[in-house]
Amino acid sequence: MNNSALPFLPTTRREFLRRSTQGIGLLAFSRFAPSFLVQSTLAAAPAPEKDRTILVLVQLAGGNDGLNTVVPFEDADYYRLRPTLGIAKREVLPVSDTLGFHPACAALHELLRNGELGVVQNVGYPNPNRSHFRSTEIWETASDSGEFLTSGWIGRFMDNACAGAPTPEHPACVHVTGDQPQSFASEQEHSTFGLTPGVRGGGRNEGGRLLEAMLDGDDHQEGNAGFLKHTMMNALVTEKKVQRVLTGYRPETTYPDTGFAGALRSVAALIAAGFSTRVYFVSLSGFDTHGSQLPQHARLLRTLSEGLAAFQRDLKAHRLDGQVTTMTFSEFGRRPSENESGGTDHGTAAPLFVMGSRVKAGLHGSAPSLRLERNQDLTYSTDFRSVYATMLDRWLACESAAVLGGEFRGLPLFA
Amino acid sequence: MTHPEKPPEVWRRLPSAEWNDQTAAHLLRRTTWSARPADVRRAREEGLERTLDRLFPSAPLEWPRPPGLDGFEEEWRELQGKIREASGVEKRYLQREQRERSQAALQELRIAWLQGAAKPENAALAKWGLFLGDVYVVSADKVRNASFLWKHQEIVAAHALGPAPALTKAVSRSPAMATYLDLARSGKKAPNENFARELFELFVLGEGSYTERDIKEAARAFTGYRVDPRTGGFRFAAGQHDRGRKTIFGKTGAFTGDEVIDLAYEEPAAAEFLPRELARFYLSETPLPPEHVAALGGWWRGAGFDLRKLARTFFGSRLFFAEEYRGNLIKSPVQFYLGLLQDLDLEVTPLPRYSTSRLRQMGQELFRPPNVRGWVGGRAWINSSTLAVRRQLVQQLFAPLREENLNADEQRILAEARARGVDRFTVSDRWWDEHVGGAPEKAARQLVDALLPAGGAAERVIRTVRDFLAEGSSGRRDERRRMAAIAILQTPEYQLC
Repeated sequence: MNNSALPFLPTTRREFLRRSTQGIGLLAFSRFAPSFLVQSTLAAAPAPEKDRTILVLVQLAGGNDGLNTVVPFEDADYYRLRPTLGIAKREVLPVSDTLGFHPACAALHELLRNGELGVVQNVGYPNPNRSHFRSTEIWETASDSGEFLTSGWIGRFMDNACAGAPTPEHPACVHVTGDQPQSFASEQEHSTFGLTPGVRGGGRNEGGRLLEAMLDGDDHQEGNAGFLKHTMMNALVTEKKVQRVLTGYRPETTYPDTGFAGALRSVAALIAAGFSTRVYFVSLSGFDTHGSQLPQHARLLRTLSEGLAAFQRDLKAHRLDGQVTTMTFSEFGRRPSENESGGTDHGTAAPLFVMGSRVKAGLHGSAPSLRLERNQDLTYSTDFRSVYATMLDRWLACESAAVLGGEFRGLPLFA
Repeated sequence: MTHPEKPPEVWRRLPSAEWNDQTAAHLLRRTTWSARPADVRRAREEGLERTLDRLFPSAPLEWPRPPGLDGFEEEWRELQGKIREASGVEKRYLQREQRERSQAALQELRIAWLQGAAKPENAALAKWGLFLGDVYVVSADKVRNASFLWKHQEIVAAHALGPAPALTKAVSRSPAMATYLDLARSGKKAPNENFARELFELFVLGEGSYTERDIKEAARAFTGYRVDPRTGGFRFAAGQHDRGRKTIFGKTGAFTGDEVIDLAYEEPAAAEFLPRELARFYLSETPLPPEHVAALGGWWRGAGFDLRKLARTFFGSRLFFAEEYRGNLIKSPVQFYLGLLQDLDLEVTPLPRYSTSRLRQMGQELFRPPNVRGWVGGRAWINSSTLAVRRQLVQQLFAPLREENLNADEQRILAEARARGVDRFTVSDRWWDEHVGGAPEKAARQLVDALLPAGGAAERVIRTVRDFLAEGSSGRRDERRRMAAIAILQTPEYQLC
């Protein structure tokens, strides 16, 4: 899958420590790490250009109810399937003659009318899996339903885009989530960084230098000990940089007071500081609305909508909007027929949002058919890997077939 | 101890000739929070069998009921009644009040759990309960009533040493579980599939060992499970239960929920699922060879799925003590925190910002795992931000509490704790006097011996600490000693067990 024939090898031990982070690649690499070979050709590779494009992934964890996000308000079947959960026609924010946004999505609606928001309808994959974990894994690894991959699609993007590049000054990917997303898992080593809102980095003092000295032994460690050592070294270096950026950041807009908006604010700060990071990952959870869905879903969509809009405003004010595209995804949509608990069970396809000033605004793909029996599921019309292929080929300028392991037809998401 | 049949080779007892300081320390680090030199000595002298008896006794761990819980339950019911009758602004106000009360109660539960688990004599069963609770997951995210969460962990603790099917059945009646996976709202007209799915996927069998149809049919059997609003206990609403015939795993009958659980345990995957989870939690992120899991599972099925027998066989086995599993498991935040307290002879500080908030920032918020699968563990605990918090926590334990900075509530809580004799919150002079003294070379060795597991890295750390201690002026000796201890506890080696 990697199109570079050159092995990824550090030139010095210190560089090795700085480069390596989490991932399977480390284990594979550790086996021959003691002999450090010099590959001078690698060091001559060009640095990433200043006008690189950036992708921000927004995970809606739990399975977002697509039908109540983009509402088919002229479809009698929708109201038949959703007698109590259906959103009334007069409440929706229309985006076409037949479809409209949930009323909590006013800010997104405005972005759409400003030409900065696209909606890809009815996205899914064949033979859908209804387990949160398995379906999230399918989305994050971009696998077929029955195929198990260990690397994520962003990880493979990095394997392809970054192989052979000199050690970057900044992490290739940043996540604002507790755990590193599976999307970032790669075959080779790339620098990734995680930050938690509200957590400040440790102070730099004599003690910090002592710890660095303890890490700096010449002995080589395998397994988890080596992993911890490398992660700690990397963290000490990156932490200093990130902390300076976040505390000094002055946003050009007011962000809502939510953890989600705070995460996007941190992303904006790093982008504005000129980090060469290509992919950011943030997550909003709580979408698993099995019961009492109406108030919870409205709150979540408002958080999403207002957070994204503030982020976009901030980027525009910094004149960075031309460089950044943001897309949402969720492991599945929900069952078209509501359940007895005022909620919806796990389903299949759902729409996703693509935001950015270079995005072709409006609806993409086709809406699902709701001529369904009770408890029947939607049939997807756009494969999620077509969306990924578009992002890779048209936005990140990376050949998608190498990352996705096959050809997926792109969509006209960019003007 | 009698087995229905002898467990297969790798699962046989460690030969007594191999029971020594190293193996004893390994057993203690993995089954409890730390292995202090005195604990290791005691275990070595008692022998493996008696140590296992002590760690996994026949009687379950009884958690003392947190003092505020009775009052909270009463308040909750009262507010619940008012909310039913109220409307509009008043209803919203009452709901907010109820949420806030529950948050406060939950905070108390977290501290109570930590205080109970921190007692060395409780450590093994507290950790065992944490493991089972990481299988039978519930979360404060959805379970708003804090007393349900406490009850759930009591249910798990009470069945933690008996047959696994009994645990599964008890959990299906846990009010927290009924709320978390929507059993309490599942009726025969439209059964909710949430519990049935996780029962098969995450509690008993694992993904891929059932069909979508099995789930739909099983969901029908679990209809009518309710939480009694008056008692907060389980109630079976017969009128809501689907008495019809169901076909599950190819068998047809008018199955009840309990019968579905029995059917699930008859499936081949049931024998291997929990042993695999056990190995992942306690032994290694790398899956065990399938033949070893199959062997243990086959034996365990024969042993009536008995959880105590499983623990004693697993933790006493040759495989558990194999070299490749020593000192290379990443400590969970709870183990890191409680292990630090034991190693430094400290008690839980009953203030969130010194305890429970730190756990949350390290990725393990008690009673609130991230999702139905629980905490992933292993390398997932570690990233740059969680490591930063681990480092801060260590620093915190070596700095005196700045009480003038605490708010009134916090000062009251501390005063109450002190009145009960709980007051060892940060490292005291006594600890230094007992553990460290003398010239740099000796002090460095003492510090490392007290805090780090023996191994190759220890010698390197000793050299670095020795040089560091020798450098400074004598007036700053205590300060440099403190910095050295902090750095040792921040090393990669201390993150492993």
